[in-house]
Amino acid sequence: MPRSLPIPLAFIAICLCLAPIAQARIKLITLPPRERVEIQLDNPGATLVEEERIVPLIKGENQVDFSWANTQINPETILFRVIAPAAEQKLDVKVLSVSYPPNEAALVWSVGASDSGSARVRISYILGNLSKNFAYRAVATRDESKLVLAQYMRLQNLANEEYGKTEMWAGFGKEFLKPIGLNETKEMLMAKFANVPIRKTYTASLSEFGYLDQPQQKLRIPMHYVVKNDKASALGTAPLPEGKVRIFIEGTEKEKATTFLGEDWGRFTPIDDEMRLYLGVAQDIVVKRTIDRNDKIRIAGNLFDHAVTIKYEIENFKDSPVTLDIVENLRQIRTEVRGSDNGRDVQWELGKDTTFEGGPDKEKSTFEKQVFHVKLPARGADGKAEKFLHKLQITLKNEW
Amino acid sequence: MKITLLALLMIAPLAAQARNVDLSTVPKRNTVQLTIYNSEDLTLVRETRAITFKKGANPLQFSWANTLIDPTSVELKFITSAEKLEVLDTTFPHDKPQMLYWNVQSEFDGEATVEITYFTSGISWSADYVAVADKDEKQMGLEGFVRVSNNSGEEYEDAQVRLVVGTINLVEKIAQLAQVPMSAVDKLGEKNRSELRLRVAKDAMAPMAGAALGGGKAMEEKEIIKEGLSEYFIYSIEGTETIRNGWSKRMRSFEAKSVPFKIQYRYRPAEYGDQLVRMYLLTNKKEDKLGTTPLPDGVVRVFRDNGRDGLSFLTQQAIKYVPIGDKIELNLGPDRNVIFELIKLRASRDEIWMHVDGVDVYRRVGQPGVQVEVNSSVAGWDDHELYTQRVRNYTAKPIEVEVRRAFPGHVVFRSQLKATAHDYQTVQFTATVEPGKKSDLLFEILRHEGRNSKQNNVTIEETEVKP
Amino acid sequence: MTARSILTLLLLLSAPAWARNVDLSTVPKRDTVQLTIYNSEDLTLVRETRTITFKKGANPLQFSWANTLIDPTSVELKFLSNGEQLEVLDTTFPHDKPQMLYWNVQSSFDGEAKIEITYFTSGISWSADYVAVADREEKAIGIEGFVKVINNSGEDYEDAQVRLVVGKINLVEKIAELAQINAPDFSRMDESKQNYYRFSAMRKSIDSADRYFDAQAAPATRPPAPKEIVKEGLSEYFIYSIEGTETVRNGWSKRMRSFAASAVPLKIQYRYRPAEYGDQLVRMYLLTNDKDSKLGTTPLPDGAVRVFRDNGRDGLSYLASQSVKYVPIGDKIELNLGRDPSVTFELVKLLASRDEIWMERGAANTFLRVGQPGVQIAVNSWVVGWDDHEIYAQRVRNYTAKPIEVEVRRTFPGHVVFRSSLKPTLFDYQTAQFTAGVQVGQKVDLLFEIVRHQGRNAKQNNVTLEAAEIKP
Repeated sequence: MPRSLPIPLAFIAICLCLAPIAQARIKLITLPPRERVEIQLDNPGATLVEEERIVPLIKGENQVDFSWANTQINPETILFRVIAPAAEQKLDVKVLSVSYPPNEAALVWSVGASDSGSARVRISYILGNLSKNFAYRAVATRDESKLVLAQYMRLQNLANEEYGKTEMWAGFGKEFLKPIGLNETKEMLMAKFANVPIRKTYTASLSEFGYLDQPQQKLRIPMHYVVKNDKASALGTAPLPEGKVRIFIEGTEKEKATTFLGEDWGRFTPIDDEMRLYLGVAQDIVVKRTIDRNDKIRIAGNLFDHAVTIKYEIENFKDSPVTLDIVENLRQIRTEVRGSDNGRDVQWELGKDTTFEGGPDKEKSTFEKQVFHVKLPARGADGKAEKFLHKLQITLKNEW
Repeated sequence: MKITLLALLMIAPLAAQARNVDLSTVPKRNTVQLTIYNSEDLTLVRETRAITFKKGANPLQFSWANTLIDPTSVELKFITSAEKLEVLDTTFPHDKPQMLYWNVQSEFDGEATVEITYFTSGISWSADYVAVADKDEKQMGLEGFVRVSNNSGEEYEDAQVRLVVGTINLVEKIAQLAQVPMSAVDKLGEKNRSELRLRVAKDAMAPMAGAALGGGKAMEEKEIIKEGLSEYFIYSIEGTETIRNGWSKRMRSFEAKSVPFKIQYRYRPAEYGDQLVRMYLLTNKKEDKLGTTPLPDGVVRVFRDNGRDGLSFLTQQAIKYVPIGDKIELNLGPDRNVIFELIKLRASRDEIWMHVDGVDVYRRVGQPGVQVEVNSSVAGWDDHELYTQRVRNYTAKPIEVEVRRAFPGHVVFRSQLKATAHDYQTVQFTATVEPGKKSDLLFEILRHEGRNSKQNNVTIEETEVKP
Repeated sequence: MTARSILTLLLLLSAPAWARNVDLSTVPKRDTVQLTIYNSEDLTLVRETRTITFKKGANPLQFSWANTLIDPTSVELKFLSNGEQLEVLDTTFPHDKPQMLYWNVQSSFDGEAKIEITYFTSGISWSADYVAVADREEKAIGIEGFVKVINNSGEDYEDAQVRLVVGKINLVEKIAELAQINAPDFSRMDESKQNYYRFSAMRKSIDSADRYFDAQAAPATRPPAPKEIVKEGLSEYFIYSIEGTETVRNGWSKRMRSFAASAVPLKIQYRYRPAEYGDQLVRMYLLTNDKDSKLGTTPLPDGAVRVFRDNGRDGLSYLASQSVKYVPIGDKIELNLGRDPSVTFELVKLLASRDEIWMERGAANTFLRVGQPGVQIAVNSWVVGWDDHEIYAQRVRNYTAKPIEVEVRRTFPGHVVFRSSLKPTLFDYQTAQFTAGVQVGQKVDLLFEIVRHQGRNAKQNNVTLEAAEIKP
């Protein structure tokens, strides 16, 4: 990139032999070294590099050469701005025009100066192959009630250019001042959030997570950690960018070592939203789901209601009580009982025989996805788990 | 044998990213701990080393050529003097894969213990079981084993080993992250696994002697400590183990004697295929001498004392994870001494409805006579099928038989079998058959067909059915 | 890479004009050169003047343009002085020497005269682009316009006066008039022929526009200041004339600032217009190309706009890059900055139901029970019409530091009633539009109900708006 390699020299030669008369009063200078570099990583799709250099100018018109062989700079995006000079210095500097030589990653600014002197200029450009991504590492407390969440930024430099001490900013969080070497990846700790409360959830959802054992109609029960990006959770200062989250759990007094619990892609999480992380399968919670009843009720001609009852046999083999979320997708139920999806919205009513206490969770449910909660005690002292039976009664209305 | 390199170099400061690096010390591992997962090709390695820091910037180089380490997982922590040390950043040079630099800022001159953790692939463990039923098939002995295999490319000497039982979520394979060509890893792994299976079959018959291949105490069997953690279970093997690259090691994880069990015969085509199978049913609970640990996925080999100071091999099957308190169901396959047949005794149709298509009138030419013919075709009917589910017990003991049958369509199931609905289209009933006896379990199926079919479910009617 | 081009004018001394071995006396140099570059077609008018010493009698003049992209049929010679004493008798194109012609000039005097040669060349083009930098508060924006001239014509143009033309002739009548043909004839022509006439009409029109513009040629040069770019509207076109002269070498391009406006007032709006911006809520900068907004001196030719914002830490944030279409004076400039992570926008379905169900009755079927008494008459019927009701919440949450204005456009095909208390308007017959303000940190549920008349209940294909209180 901006580099004073032999190219500018070649360029001088061309200028001189092509237009000896015109160039007579013009001095060609190549850019002096960088005084300051700032890399703006706030745009998700483009990286903006801003660098400052001090350019010696003579009175009149000056030619300033800038070349960027083997790097990805879109020449159209290059901005050249003169930083306001100190008050005592009355140097008036203006860019007159920019010339682009053929077949060369370079340009020549024609800069007019009211007097001889040095000008501080800022050159900004969008640089390809210099990108960032985020990763998280979290350690949960032994009782799984809180996390220490560390957020890392990984800067990947494949741009074929190195920068000395460079200020970097991701659009949020702290700034970094670090050198960026040629073709390297640098991982930096952005922030560490302590005492982030977590909600641990167990979910039975055929449409989302399928069966663990289909012949036995046992559902796969994933365990999630849910972190809310808000002030109450010691977060909520900025949206959490997408990135892989690896979660560990702390050790005991005796055995201090942490243990890896699982990882998931943390999705982009705006403030007040929840980041749900699927860590693993809860194999000690067993849910068998069967369709207990499926009756067709003719309304007229080919128009039917369907009375459907879904039965859940639930056992908690854990030695601690848990709350299980049961999620049903109404479209999925219709496909199960009718054999196909006609594409129309499902019109439905909840029946009286439904056994879930408190009915659906209004906050978490949508019209097509209903969420119920079931509280399950720990298994008994004898090791035996009580089997709980729950029913969901749904009438699908006006189907044909 | 390839030469692997897992090295931590302390670099003379200032020459941080230089290509020709002066190295002052190569701190050795003090301790190493492996936490091996069985649901994914993943092992968490934790090692401690002692490093002498200087005040100021301390560039640390860590490299892992020819290993299967995920570079994104490598982490450095300070066990001692943590408040005086800080990792400023981590740098991965692109031209030298399998290497990183930590930029450590120290506020003091002196030694500190650091902990390095990372994920590697290539180390795995699996469980297997040996069940030996007594002659009367009332009780059994059940032994559980764990086998650790190391194909990671790295030797782990005197390592503390922990095994994690459970299904963790991994969004990217560690082996891919380690940038080893997947094809090579796959072939290597498969070869080892098939060899392992052969050896396991032999081992199963051999008496369990001190199975250790090296390291550890010679004569005493090691204890495996089990504890629950979040959704998983952790087995910690007592002491340390040396697990060389390419080797595997099998250890007993538990042993239970005189575990009571029950025998049941089951017909469940969706689970066991179209046959009546014999089951050993036991429960993973304390009062049954089990219940100390959930049983991880693994192969169970079932034997029976043949009463002549020898064993009979009954079956080998893979079982899925069994929580503490849950049932263990061992399918021994069909029993030649129990004959199970479904015989159709009768079929008939009634409630036949004709659809009147039209009326044709015929008149005889030249002579008096008019004929009216109504054209019609069958539009609805009921099929009646009478079956006997015949079970003959040639064993020496009374047996319990459980039958599940699914009937699609609009069906009425009539019997005196006290049948229950397993789901809206599946009927279940049980019966006991005395030794040497034949039992005919009669039922009638009424299928509403054509326009008589109004539902898609089974209704159970308790009524007398005669052959 | 580029073959050096030769564009020479020779005055042939001796009589044997087309002889192979020719004595040449002078190679008159260009005195001035002027380029008029068109941006929507690959077309540039070159006008150059040279000074030639004529002899009484026949003066064969050779003009050649090897390795250039000059259209030979367009080359014209005019006499700027002594026009009444000089005459072009004929123009000859030798077949064996392409890219060359001879003018046979008859002079009635001995002495110097100024001539003008005009021709059209391809290979020179220009484009516009813009840089917009919003201030920290996003109340005002600075805009700079640039023009870039690209020379791939094979010829170096030194110290050329440069004019840039914005516009395009599309009016059939105009083309017909300029090309001197009948408009109905033109309409019947195939595309290639139409293009031929459009092109020749354009040439004529540029030529005349150019000559008109000559009258206002601005001299004077003040070197260290950026060049003034004079803009002038002219019939279908807008012409930018760059002050002084420029040298644009073959293979090179040159970018110059055409205008700069600072503190242009700016309004922010969030828009959901899937047809224009995709299925996302985008943040827009809205400004106007008029005098009140410190713009409006020129229409803005098509070009890329790069939008930055002062990040308040002595640096810039890159926001977006997009291409804008020609913006006439007085029209709006709309800059789409893409999605804003601090504003969430989701459509939540709260309820779905059906009513007004109509069945069509088929023929009655008669069924007889076999062997037993029983007759059933069954009438088949099936659903042929119904109304779908859907209640939605358009949920917007504002995590920015300022209140925002959100405009939503949603298209509903079919026979639809849009019921809400959102005071919507119809953007078109099947698109409802509504706006709402969302305060800082606020979550707003904009409720509406969609009634879709389906099957035989559908009598129209449009959206009707209905004011109604919608409850979730």
